[in-house]
Amino acid sequence: MVSGQESTLVPNTPVEMAELLRRASEQKQSVVLRGAGTKQDWGRPPQHIDATLSTRGLYRLIAHQHGDLTATIEAGASLRDVNVALSLHGQWLPLDPPFAAEATIGGILATNDSGPLRHRYGTPRDLVIGTSVATADGVLAKSGGQVVKNVAGYDLSKLLAGSFGSLAAIVNATFKLSPLPAASRTLVAAARDAEELGRFVREVMASQLEPIAFEIHVPSFALMLRFASVAAAVDAQAHAAEMMLGAAKLFDGDAERTFWSQHNERVWNGTGAIVRASWLPANVAAAIGELKSCAAASGVIEIEMLGRAAVGSGLVRIEGEAKAQARAIEQLRQSAAFGNVVLRRGSTELKSLVDVWGSSAERQPLLASLKRALDPQGILSPGRGPA
Amino acid sequence: MDRAFLDELRQVVGDDGLLQDPLELLTYECDALPHLRESPAAVVLPTSASQIQGVVRLCARHGVPFVPRGHGTGLSGGALPVAGGVVIALSRLNRVLDVDIPNQRVTVEPGVTNLEITRQVAPFGFYYAPDPSSQQVCSIGGNVAENSGGAHCLKYGFTVHHVLEVEAVMPDGAIVHFGSTFADTPGPDLLGLLVGSEGTIAIATRITVRILRRPETVQTLLAAFATIDAGGAVVSDIIAAGIIPAAVEMMDSLAIRAAEAAVHPNFPDADTVLIVELDGPAAEVTALFDTVVDTCRRHGATTIEVAQTDEQRARIWRGRKAAFAAMGRVSPNYYVQDGVVPRTRLPEVLNRIRALEQRSGLRIGNVFHAGDGNLHPLICYDERVPGDPEKAVEVAAEILSYCIEAGGSLTGEHGIGADKSSYMPTMFTADDLAVMQRVRAAFDPQGICNPGKVFPTPRLCGEVPGPHRAHPIEAAGLAERW
Repeated sequence: MVSGQESTLVPNTPVEMAELLRRASEQKQSVVLRGAGTKQDWGRPPQHIDATLSTRGLYRLIAHQHGDLTATIEAGASLRDVNVALSLHGQWLPLDPPFAAEATIGGILATNDSGPLRHRYGTPRDLVIGTSVATADGVLAKSGGQVVKNVAGYDLSKLLAGSFGSLAAIVNATFKLSPLPAASRTLVAAARDAEELGRFVREVMASQLEPIAFEIHVPSFALMLRFASVAAAVDAQAHAAEMMLGAAKLFDGDAERTFWSQHNERVWNGTGAIVRASWLPANVAAAIGELKSCAAASGVIEIEMLGRAAVGSGLVRIEGEAKAQARAIEQLRQSAAFGNVVLRRGSTELKSLVDVWGSSAERQPLLASLKRALDPQGILSPGRGPA
Repeated sequence: MDRAFLDELRQVVGDDGLLQDPLELLTYECDALPHLRESPAAVVLPTSASQIQGVVRLCARHGVPFVPRGHGTGLSGGALPVAGGVVIALSRLNRVLDVDIPNQRVTVEPGVTNLEITRQVAPFGFYYAPDPSSQQVCSIGGNVAENSGGAHCLKYGFTVHHVLEVEAVMPDGAIVHFGSTFADTPGPDLLGLLVGSEGTIAIATRITVRILRRPETVQTLLAAFATIDAGGAVVSDIIAAGIIPAAVEMMDSLAIRAAEAAVHPNFPDADTVLIVELDGPAAEVTALFDTVVDTCRRHGATTIEVAQTDEQRARIWRGRKAAFAAMGRVSPNYYVQDGVVPRTRLPEVLNRIRALEQRSGLRIGNVFHAGDGNLHPLICYDERVPGDPEKAVEVAAEILSYCIEAGGSLTGEHGIGADKSSYMPTMFTADDLAVMQRVRAAFDPQGICNPGKVFPTPRLCGEVPGPHRAHPIEAAGLAERW
């Protein structure tokens, strides 16, 4: 969304970053933050941008306290590089958002983006334990800390999650880590239809199975379960899942890694608009029914959905003309089966037809008040976020 | 307090929802940190969110400060009244509103106790994970305010990881929904900020939490060691082996003796005991539990007791969970803090605490969540000995300074409240605190929602962090500490 004559600023230290923001605030110059740029077109198109503030000069893994299962990482470090470094001590930051090969820690936290591993490990907001930020008026401030258990002061890290760079610039973040599992196996089964898929989802949720990922895909009605633990437990759990779900394909080792990297790109590689939507997990059959009727009524060509079965959160790809896509999105927003329908990827035309965020209802005054408190001049990504 | 204001309050909550009698107000003078005490002008006992909204609107219009209060079990003075203010007690909002087993969530009012949620869903094989030691009596609203943890948060996280939606009354009386029963509320994670904000930005009126399936298998052991260092080394090696136990708890000899005197859990007479609990799929727990037992042996465990039955496990946990209350058996008074250190710094900080014990002449019992480095030093003193209470306060402050020097935190789960607000500048810079204050003012521009908590304010004469004393209703012989 950044276009025109704007300049790119590349601070190499937190102090430089704060100073650049302070100056921008003083001169009322609007700034958009940028990590690797993998999600730069998410959110509403910013109203006007004078400068891009890149985090690529802040890329260090500041500390890996492996005995404490924590790491402090600068905003511009890529998740992949970080995980390579953490693996030297058998640990990882268990996040697998789309574009994981390039996406930066700052961008992932600012969008609170995640992937299939969310089933077990949560989203960035669940893993972040402390952050340092530069406010729009150039104050360096931290909240949280270096320890996993800590309730001292306000947890401003949470506010950054989902802020889309509209409240403050993330300088660095500290996360709790997990041990890399010793063994892993993925099982893929297919249901006949939405009803059977819904039944499978409820059965898995009510069972003693403890997968680290639990995905569904529509229209294939596939279920994907990934088990990771000691080898004996992976064998036992995968076997129990097979008994429950019937014939299944199993993936180990390199085949499993390839499977998941393709899975994470699946929706993004297709054409059309992509929305994120959520549903109540036990009601997934009704949600799928709604997708079908939505496709028929709106006139779109194709609807595909992929997501976290037990969380009730997924990505819906909508193929068709912008006007039909807009009708489909509005219909999903009206539907009782879905909540929090947000446009992730869409053409400029589509973004002119539907609001990216949908209604934030009674939270709107709070979000506006927070924005004024942390960015008094309104210079950070004006108009991009939901506030 | 203005009579007209009181009449208006009465119109909102009814005659039986308004307390003004000094004797009735006694209960509300303090929470479970009884040395900080203040008499409110009035206490209201609303029965619905709309009554809370009515009360808050009145307070906002008249600029009267208010303090939300759950069941008063907090250990940091988070529910300490404000002089001339109103306490909004949430004990009558105690209904369980929805139990949704297929979607694994429960919706309750804030006055429902933590354990009641598990009671509701236990018949279906589920439970609510956060388990503070006070879970039988503490309220879920208080848990949300404090972001409560418990013994099992090493693996399962804190309240913030288990709350999906909170309906809350804002300081101007608006009702706002934080989060949603549907995942992924767009925008900054306001719910994550609300949880743990210690009642300073809103009052929760309805809370939806997620519940978890009971794990297939649970294995618990109690191991004894001759030194704290040996116990600490076991914890480090377990984590280094890639094992995340459901709980890892440590107690030292003074805490062991106290627990033994109070509830007879049959703990060995040792310098240090370690409780390790693993849960999850049977095959996983079986494999990893062997590693834990081997690790204990390798570091010279003098005894290892593996719980063979649920009763045996319950007995071990009874010894741990009763440790606070049990200190009364070995000392007339005690003062507890809950500072945190990085797990790898535990042995070093514990040795500093032992040196401090020698130097100060006050005995210090240590009961702590070793897995996440959350200390609970119980500083023993006798309030009849002149100078002792002040010394206990100094000792507590020194222990907190060790935690901060080691890169830790002032509090792992009890909250800052009124108790530790003056220490906040030791952990945060003036800029850090100023940015937090900006956020606070965005929610509560008048500063009327639980003022005087979390952030440092100049203290009044005689208002210092201090040791455990009897709650006024205990002192009056009306209740007993459990």
